Amino acid sequence: MSGPDRIPPGAVPALELRGLGKRFHLRSGGILRRRVTELRAVADVDLVLPRGGILGLVGESGSGKSTTGLMALRLLEPSEGQILIEGTDVTALGHAALKPWRRRVQVVFQDSYSALDPMFTLAQVVAEPLRIHGIGDGASRHRAALDWLERVGLHRSYGSRYAHELSGGQRQRVAIARALILEPAVLIADEPTSALDVSVKAQIINLLQDLQAEMDLSILFISHDLSVVRSLCDRVAVMFSGRIVEEAPTEAIFTSARHPYTRALLDAIPVLDPRQRRRRTFRDRAEIARDVPVLRRGEVTGPVPEGAGPRLMPIGPDHRVAAVLEGEAA
Amino acid sequence: MTAEPNVAPAAAVLAKPAKRQRGPLWFAWRRFLANRAAVVGGSVLGIITLMAIFAPWITPAGPTAQAFLTDALAFPSAQHWMGVDDLGRDFFTRIVYGARVSLTIGFSAALFSVVIGIPLGAAAGFFGGRTDWVIMRVIEIFSVVPPLLAAMLLGALTGGGFWMIVAIAALFGWVQVCLLVRAQIKAFKEKEFVRAAQALGASPAYVIRVHLIPNSVSPIIIGFVLAIPLAMMLEASLSFLGVGVPPPTPSWGQMINNGMNFMYFYWHLAVFPTVALAVTVLATSLFGDGLRDALDPTMKAR
Amino acid sequence: MTGYILRRLLSVMVTFFVVSVIIFLMMHSIPGGPFDGGDMPVPEAVRQKLNAQYGLDQPLYVQYGRYMWGVLQFDFGVPFQSPGETVLELLGRAWVPSLVLGGLGVLIGVPLGILLGMAAALKRNSWIDYLASTVATLGLTIPVFVTSMLLILVFSVWLGWLPSSGWGEPERWILPIAAYATIPMATYARYMRSAMLDTLNKPFVTVLRAKGLSERQIVFQHVMRNSSIPLVTVFLPMFIGTATGSIFVEAMFRVPGLGSYFVSSIRTRDYPLEMALMLMLTVMFCLAYLISDILYAWLNPRIRHGGKQE
Repeated sequence: MSGPDRIPPGAVPALELRGLGKRFHLRSGGILRRRVTELRAVADVDLVLPRGGILGLVGESGSGKSTTGLMALRLLEPSEGQILIEGTDVTALGHAALKPWRRRVQVVFQDSYSALDPMFTLAQVVAEPLRIHGIGDGASRHRAALDWLERVGLHRSYGSRYAHELSGGQRQRVAIARALILEPAVLIADEPTSALDVSVKAQIINLLQDLQAEMDLSILFISHDLSVVRSLCDRVAVMFSGRIVEEAPTEAIFTSARHPYTRALLDAIPVLDPRQRRRRTFRDRAEIARDVPVLRRGEVTGPVPEGAGPRLMPIGPDHRVAAVLEGEAA
Repeated sequence: MTAEPNVAPAAAVLAKPAKRQRGPLWFAWRRFLANRAAVVGGSVLGIITLMAIFAPWITPAGPTAQAFLTDALAFPSAQHWMGVDDLGRDFFTRIVYGARVSLTIGFSAALFSVVIGIPLGAAAGFFGGRTDWVIMRVIEIFSVVPPLLAAMLLGALTGGGFWMIVAIAALFGWVQVCLLVRAQIKAFKEKEFVRAAQALGASPAYVIRVHLIPNSVSPIIIGFVLAIPLAMMLEASLSFLGVGVPPPTPSWGQMINNGMNFMYFYWHLAVFPTVALAVTVLATSLFGDGLRDALDPTMKAR
Repeated sequence: MTGYILRRLLSVMVTFFVVSVIIFLMMHSIPGGPFDGGDMPVPEAVRQKLNAQYGLDQPLYVQYGRYMWGVLQFDFGVPFQSPGETVLELLGRAWVPSLVLGGLGVLIGVPLGILLGMAAALKRNSWIDYLASTVATLGLTIPVFVTSMLLILVFSVWLGWLPSSGWGEPERWILPIAAYATIPMATYARYMRSAMLDTLNKPFVTVLRAKGLSERQIVFQHVMRNSSIPLVTVFLPMFIGTATGSIFVEAMFRVPGLGSYFVSSIRTRDYPLEMALMLMLTVMFCLAYLISDILYAWLNPRIRHGGKQE
């Protein structure tokens, strides 16, 4: 068995998802005429999060981005595909074998209120990861927790307070401290700023940036807020109806998006200056789903993946888009 | 907002030290104190409990001692505050020891209800699926059978007795606790702090023990306190019908039944146990309702 | 809807079967039969003959099967305590006082409780609100035999206005009916009060006020209708409470109704009567559950349209 500590840093991606998918079975009807409908919440997700990288995963609510995050955390069993943490396939590991790998991938959720146990003091909240992993004794855990509270910008005296006494931004800081106290390689941040006020949002983004730089952390940043993603992430993957439809370095997404859904998302960003305001096109999902980009052979910069229908094709440096080739039926 | 957040570095927002720590239960306590009926109920219950505990020191004779046979059926007086019963026993003594029986049965039954109800409610709420289905079907059967009727039947078949009553009351009391705990755990297991603990590799046992049960203290306390008057009522009803606590152990229900035979001539034998039972059950219910109202909003609201 | 009713019916039948088996087994698994005699030992030969005559020497499942087969033809056997008639005849006789007293109690208690609850909700924190809360708490927490005892002590023993027991002249009915009525009155006072308060605090009522409707119009045309749905659903616990209470009311006031026979059958181990009474109650409660479930399902869309979310 190879423990998480033996992997040389840098060489392998911190987190890799290969062909990840999730199907839900919806039951309807009575005992006698039971129908089972299959819902593909997520399909064919390939993502690579390099060490120290910040990858944005964007899409509207229901696009499957949070489901992908939960699967990457092994909180939700994937129906297909693999999850690799620092090069090791952890998809099939059982509870005990998975536990050391759990330390490497941690999470911050959107709803900071329900993310903290109301019966715990904040020191207990932050120390909990150490407790679950049996690191140190009560006193040393408490000290470490207070250190981390300070590190995320809260006074040490907050250690004896409860979650309900804090503001949303302060609670999110506590959640970040809890996620990082085990010094994980990967932080999955599931809409950590969506419930916050604009000014507080900026503080939390700053905090994440600082900590990321200090700890050489890799972040999978799940969000629907493209402006936040632009200021934080170095790569962006766009999800639509459970699939990745475009993936590129952040600037390429903002300057040369190819997929109609990516463009629709970009159009939805509010622009303050009326002279710069673009003409917006509001289209419904079905319309976007039908509008598959068609590529000429010359536009594809790498090997064309096999298969039929829309599939991710390379169209530039590190830029992939779900499309069909000219002449193929969409 | 614009794309470039230009705010001071994170450490600059070091907040002011907190004044005092106040847990969620502290606020519940404040709400409880604001409820007059509940405070009165709790105080009365406290006084009755103290009387029951110190019964030997405040009564003139033992509860079954026929020490005043010559004064049998005497009306209340300075010597015998509640008179003497038909068998020459000081009636105040009987009433106070009756409180002992009633409260002991109430508390023990509530304790057993909680002991059965918590694990079953936790399992049903946390694991869902088949476990939940089985437990809910069992509860359904219990809810179709009215507890009092079934208790009467069981009491009659087994001949009653102190611990039998406790067992019967617990048998019907756990359902309420189980449902309360199940609902709470069902609501809390989807919370993100549970997910966060699971993402850390916490086992279901850890999550239930460390997060879910402590967050269910409110429903557990509510279930416990509301089970007490139910058990007391059950005991009194069964004893009244003669299938509960057997004589000569003093029980208010039994005394009421006995008092019925004398009520036109020796009213004290009917009045005192009736009033004692009514006051105790009412006080316990008011106390329980007050606790429930005080504890509930903590969990719902922020 | 039909499918739902059928499913509920099936589940009620299963519940009934399980309960009947449990009751049957419980009654037969306890050592001691009606002919074991305590004070007056019955000779062994006589005891065996009696056991054979009543089928008590057969295996349990045979006894159960034979019993249920009889039940399907309304044959509940002969009560041990009054062998001159069948259980069915005895029950037919005992129904009357229970139905009259219980029915009148419910008929009087429900409207009184509704009025009390409404008055309490409309005049919050007034004397009538406190009265309603007190009545509701007393009625729902104090066992009905204690209420009965208090009624007897006040009206028969102390004031001497009314007789405390028996069945016959209508003045003997007053106290038992009053005792019966406490349960529905308390139940409805509490639920009506909270349902009305709930509705009065809904945004749509604020809108109606803003539109300038009089308080009277708001209450009678809008609030009443919206508060009435929970009242249908509390009928079931109220009904069960009243039915169970009848045992104690009848024992207290010495009324020769079902409740009295229930008590005496338990005390004398009168299997046929006890079984019949328990089965009857189970059927009654199962039906009550079924009706309340169906009513609830039927009301549900309306609840949704009324803006109430469960």
